[in-house]
Amino acid sequence: MDDDLLSGHLQELRRGTVVLACLALLRRPGYGYALLESLEQAGFAVEANTLYPLLRRLEKQGLLESVWNTDESRPRKFYVTSSAGARLLGQLFEDWDALTQSITDLREGNER
Amino acid sequence: MTTLTDRYVYAALRTLPEQQRPDIERELRGSIADAVDARRDSGEPDEAAETAVLTELGDPIRLAAGYADRPLHLIGPDLFLDWWRLLKVLWAVVLPCVVLGVTIANLIAGTPPGGIVGAAIGVTISAAVHIGFWVTFVFVLVERSSSKRMGPFTTWTPAMLPQLPAPGTGKLSELVASAVLVALAVGALIWQQFNSVFQDDAGNAIPLFNPELWSFWLPYFIVLLIAEIPFALAVWRTGRWTFRLAAINTVLNLLFAVPAVWLLLTDQVVNPAFAAATGGRWLAWSIGITATVVLAICVYDVIDGFLKARRASAVTAA
Repeated sequence: MDDDLLSGHLQELRRGTVVLACLALLRRPGYGYALLESLEQAGFAVEANTLYPLLRRLEKQGLLESVWNTDESRPRKFYVTSSAGARLLGQLFEDWDALTQSITDLREGNER
Repeated sequence: MTTLTDRYVYAALRTLPEQQRPDIERELRGSIADAVDARRDSGEPDEAAETAVLTELGDPIRLAAGYADRPLHLIGPDLFLDWWRLLKVLWAVVLPCVVLGVTIANLIAGTPPGGIVGAAIGVTISAAVHIGFWVTFVFVLVERSSSKRMGPFTTWTPAMLPQLPAPGTGKLSELVASAVLVALAVGALIWQQFNSVFQDDAGNAIPLFNPELWSFWLPYFIVLLIAEIPFALAVWRTGRWTFRLAAINTVLNLLFAVPAVWLLLTDQVVNPAFAAATGGRWLAWSIGITATVVLAICVYDVIDGFLKARRASAVTAA
């Protein structure tokens, strides 16, 4: 299998999952670099230059809230999933479950 | 001392709106410092760590575009087709008008034929470039100004689908156009023999074309031009271009272009008396331009015939 072709399709398949993963991980407050690390550990590799603007976009959409923590020597912007974000996350999870079911059906060949 | 990070942050922030800068700067610096620390903890030297982190972050302008939600293309897929259609319509409508206007103005001003052709080519190119630039410029502004994705200007409906080229109903306009063109061309060839901007001492017109050509070549071209009419009729009757018609079209073009270019390049076309009357200033380069234009038109016409034939055969095969 052509490597470029495979990675292209895998990228397409995973595209929307970063938002879902961010909203899920940020149910506990987190800041940029730490979130980048946790995403990678959780198996959602994402580039830093994609994640940082994404966090701001989600904040602008009201799905994340942010607060500056200046207790430590290095001030950090902590993000946390807002109630609107949590609602959206619930809907994304539901859709994911429906998708999983559809894919299972497809794989087992018992689609109607 | 300025560090690479300072320069990176400056490059990324300077294109962002003023009021967003302090907050993004603080966060970006923190994120870079965190990443550098992580690399340093795993044993990398300071400078190598900083370089590696900034390399990973990539082009600062790309990062800034992400923060500002700015497109990284001139015209996106939403507007591309609107842009392309508008451009084609404007070119098709405006360019012929421009050429016609300039030609008429030059005819009135008494510009020699070579000068008219040169002016028409020059003005066509500059008008095409201007239209292309300004239309694109406006679309680029629209692409950047709409904060929300607004979608295409025109919503496509099935009613916009083109008609199939049905047999027996070719474009009457094409037939009429070629008949008119042939009549004009033959008329001009005969007219120039008896009318001219220059007169000899006895008051007779000095024709543009070499009168010796009347012994063979001018009648040959007139017959060839008139032969275009039955050919155009055949295309109209068939209703579409076929490969056979495209082949005949190629032969007609060759029969025209080869002798015409040969006569032009061997200086047999222009009446020596006419050339002398003009002082011969514009003659040398206008012959070159005319030969190029003749070749370009014939090559275009041949290719156009085959493209039309291929399109028509694709449609009827489907």
